[in-house]
Amino acid sequence: MPITFPIGGGKGGSGKSFITASLGVSFAKQGKRVLLIDLDLGGSNLHSFLGLKNTEIGLNEFLNKRFQDLEQAILSTSVPNLFIISSANCSMESANLFYLQKLKIIRAIQGLTFDYILLDLGAGTSFNTLDFFLTSNEGIFVITPEPTSIENAFRFIKSVYFRRIKQMLKQKEFQRIVKEVLDDSNIGIVRWPSDIIDMLIEKEPERGAFLENKLGEYGFNIILNQFRRKSDSSLGDKIERVCNKHFYSKFQFLGTVGYDERVHDSILSRNIYINTYPYTVTATDLQNVADKISENGQTSVSTHQDCYEEI
Amino acid sequence: MKKFEDLSFYEILEIPVGASSYEIREAYKEALSIYNEDSLTTYSLFTDDERDRIREKVEEAFLTLIDEVKRADYDRMLVDSGKLDEQILHGKERGRPAQLFSDNKVNYSNAVSNMVRKKIEEGDVEDIASEILSQERISGSDLKRLRQAIGIKQQEVFEITRITVSVLDAIENDQVESLPPLIYLKNFLKQYAGVLQVDSEKIVEGYTRQMALNQDET
Repeated sequence: MPITFPIGGGKGGSGKSFITASLGVSFAKQGKRVLLIDLDLGGSNLHSFLGLKNTEIGLNEFLNKRFQDLEQAILSTSVPNLFIISSANCSMESANLFYLQKLKIIRAIQGLTFDYILLDLGAGTSFNTLDFFLTSNEGIFVITPEPTSIENAFRFIKSVYFRRIKQMLKQKEFQRIVKEVLDDSNIGIVRWPSDIIDMLIEKEPERGAFLENKLGEYGFNIILNQFRRKSDSSLGDKIERVCNKHFYSKFQFLGTVGYDERVHDSILSRNIYINTYPYTVTATDLQNVADKISENGQTSVSTHQDCYEEI
Repeated sequence: MKKFEDLSFYEILEIPVGASSYEIREAYKEALSIYNEDSLTTYSLFTDDERDRIREKVEEAFLTLIDEVKRADYDRMLVDSGKLDEQILHGKERGRPAQLFSDNKVNYSNAVSNMVRKKIEEGDVEDIASEILSQERISGSDLKRLRQAIGIKQQEVFEITRITVSVLDAIENDQVESLPPLIYLKNFLKQYAGVLQVDSEKIVEGYTRQMALNQDET
């Protein structure tokens, strides 16, 4: 079974697609068979990072049933071992997937045979993004050292939790507990998803503990992108530590990726950055992050088949 | 996984139970940098109330652990409530809590000045000292003569006064061009005289007179 890495992060422009493409190339160079899937359905552009022009086939053919298997939608790239499913040719309305279409995609992805599958997700915290993110417990989120990005990242993490808790509790029950939390906090919204768990643990310890356990399985990996020399060098570590203290899951900081003007140049010229500038600081950073993920990957279990189970 | 409210003071500051006071202070500084309202890391994560509560807790953790008595009480409480293994408290890895404001700089100057005082008491240098002080002008070689009569080295003078050996050399050899500016020189001479236990005012006056003469000659 492939190890799936959803790559999200809340804020747009933080470099999710760039990181996805670069990690894909790095993994492929390590000899892994890698598939990139562009799941930013409303703003698909992953193919451009790999120097591909408008792609003929892609996810759309799978959604409109021209292709029976998702495998048929796979394109090869100029990098050996690296493949992509583009969504550039999807319809203008595809950003709003139907629930069943989403399930269909998630199931099909889990049936593919690759070493690594990287999911390039869109910005924001729409249900599609959150659900794709939740298909794996090896989620990666890309942030930049700016308050706006970090703000969105926290929002993203909380939304992911909230969504997961909602998935696992039955509808009625979820609403009942949320109501209790709201009465308690009198803010009008649930500020911390963990409040729901705490409430459940209090009322029904067994199920609460089960839920807590389930959430504990999730690993969040953090990449700090567009890192400039002036930024606080311990920022990534600090975020990791704060998250580990205040959320229920395991957070791991994978490393910083330096800011480089030439990333922009390579996008303009449709070259693959780490192949064009392999000896830059930024390319080395990307390589280090890829190595760290590969090391982790050997020990971890991945991909939730039971993604939509209820308790 | 533990809630923040349930973390022990050690867990809040992310330090081992045996942490030294230095580690505690560093960890506290780090925690403040993470939880202050301008912190890039957390400013958007907590409301002001939440942040205040967390900071109160960090503060409490710091003030308890940095105080030897309060820390001992707290450790006992942890052991009694089964959160901490008693063995850890007495293990070898436990650092000795140092005083809050002590610096651990190794300082030899006291030992050296005691030694010098002893030598002056024992040695028969009074004659030379009074002979030098009676002169109108005092040269560097006079100072050197007195120092050697007492039997101490330039390095030892340095240990007490922190006047570098090269400056001492310049003073003793009357190398006018290598001497520091007058205001510093006077202070250095005062300190040097103090070590040799002779009247510092007379030394400064005599030396500057000699120096003026040397300058006129050159």
